[in-house]
Amino acid sequence: MSAIYKRDLRAYFTSPVGYVFIAAFLFVMNLVFFLMNMLTGENRLTTCYTIMLYAMMVLVPILTMRTFSEDYKQKTDQLLLTSPVKPAGIVMGKFLAAYTVFVITLALMLVQVIIIAAMSTPNAAIIVGNYIALLSAAAVYISIGCFVSSLTENQLVANIATLAINVTLFLLDFAYDLVNVGWIKQILYWISIYRRFNTFYVGVFSVADFVFYLCVSAVFLFLTVRVLEKKRWS
Amino acid sequence: MIEVSNLTKTYGKKRGIDRLSFTIGDGEIVGFLGPNGAGKSTTMNIISGYLSASSGAARIGGIDILEDPVAAKRQIGYLPEQPPLYLDMTVAEYLDFIFDLKVPAGELKRSAHIEEICELVGLKEHYTRVIRNLSKGYKQRVGLAQALIGNPEVLILDEPTVGLDPKQIIEIRNVIKGLGKNRTIILSTHILQEVSAICERVLVINNGQIVADDKPENLSSMITGDRKLTVRVAGPRDSVRKILRSIEGVRFADVTVQAEKGSYDFLVEARPNVDIRKPMFAALAKAGYPILQLKSMDLSLEDIFLKLVEEKKKQRDPHNKAPKKVPGEVALNVSGGEESAQEAYASPEPPEQSEEEAVSPAAEGKEEEI
Repeated sequence: MSAIYKRDLRAYFTSPVGYVFIAAFLFVMNLVFFLMNMLTGENRLTTCYTIMLYAMMVLVPILTMRTFSEDYKQKTDQLLLTSPVKPAGIVMGKFLAAYTVFVITLALMLVQVIIIAAMSTPNAAIIVGNYIALLSAAAVYISIGCFVSSLTENQLVANIATLAINVTLFLLDFAYDLVNVGWIKQILYWISIYRRFNTFYVGVFSVADFVFYLCVSAVFLFLTVRVLEKKRWS
Repeated sequence: MIEVSNLTKTYGKKRGIDRLSFTIGDGEIVGFLGPNGAGKSTTMNIISGYLSASSGAARIGGIDILEDPVAAKRQIGYLPEQPPLYLDMTVAEYLDFIFDLKVPAGELKRSAHIEEICELVGLKEHYTRVIRNLSKGYKQRVGLAQALIGNPEVLILDEPTVGLDPKQIIEIRNVIKGLGKNRTIILSTHILQEVSAICERVLVINNGQIVADDKPENLSSMITGDRKLTVRVAGPRDSVRKILRSIEGVRFADVTVQAEKGSYDFLVEARPNVDIRKPMFAALAKAGYPILQLKSMDLSLEDIFLKLVEEKKKQRDPHNKAPKKVPGEVALNVSGGEESAQEAYASPEPPEQSEEEAVSPAAEGKEEEI
């Protein structure tokens, strides 16, 4: 697993993908920070981080589109699947590499926190809550992206399909507000990914919501492992 | 070392391989010979754990590839038909990655091991180059180096010389031969000469089944039975033909074409197990007609195939006769082998026919059977 992790992480930075992702993310988020905080003198980063959630919805597919698709295309999946590594190890290696790129991006965003801290006294709990929420959300987005990438050898298809799933999940959240039928509302609440961020945003660490995100990520990673194993039987 | 029993792989309704069984001992170099689509790659993919069989089992060193895939794969070095290379890496980085991927920590000394392999496959000078920029031959070498990392006991090489130039083919063949001294190697190819050059044993596969399993020399003698030569002689056509036909052991001799001014090419066929080269030389020398060129007519893979498939069909005939009342089914059974062999090779004609056709234009109107 560590070999695959190291290779994939390195590959993000020997190709433009890693740089494009980080640059696009930082550009959007710093623009938002400038408009929402610098111009208005607002010291709470919550609005900025809420928008970051939507930016992730669009930008994370760039990060994950190549995880498996590129291996299928280059036939290097044949190397990985005939190596003495379990499919779960392959999936985790690739997932963690993509996740690390995101963590690096998020670490670069700490500059905003430093600026806010230099100019005012921000609420530490809210900032930590936001960061936990973002890291959890990233795990979900990246695992969905890995799963979709494992289904196709076309990176563009992987990108668009991941985006479509992310937007659908986002729309389900909207549906929650619009639907009045009790049991449907309840189901939508259970599967809602965005709604659960709210608790983190106000600085409350909700174990249930955190576990929910971990479980959603685990489900998609498990499905990815199954896809790899299924390839053998095709 | 490798034990394959009743391996079957179905793709939808089509059978990629059909109840394939064979055993390969320690240190053997075995060639899989067969046309495209015969099931060579499928078999190799199953043994290496990339694909799973629909039924049957494959064991490497006694370990079932499905029951303990990690332990089984640890014993295998696999070079697929298209080398699995990360083109954006340098050779050094790539081999380093493979080392991490395959070799348990502390088992081998990294730099010494990689250096040894690069030396073996001739990659030393290209060690720092990006794989994308390497020629096809060198990419193939990197693929081979990848398979060798971790000193696996079994090497599975799927068409290792395909697409290489003649010099590279010879080099890679020599490397493989050298590797075979202390390893079990399975090699697939559709080039007959490759099998005779490298392998100690040949498994001929067609339509997912083993058609023949023997040593290359036995296989070719089994198939040829008789011996055909092309000889270019400087001398009058009719006299030379007469001399050739008078040599003991010659079954057939005739002109194929006028090669140069005053010299002709003859196709000479000897009776089984008779070497006519020496008496032919003596007879022609005595008559004062020098031999300018002499070569044996090598059987091509399609010739071997058609013969083996025909033999197999003959063996099966008693069974096929039974359901003859269902003509469609019989036709399907009988034509299956031929069709795929013909599809895979350009020449749909059986070898005997094509040779006769080659003879007839030159020998037109002057034919007398010997």
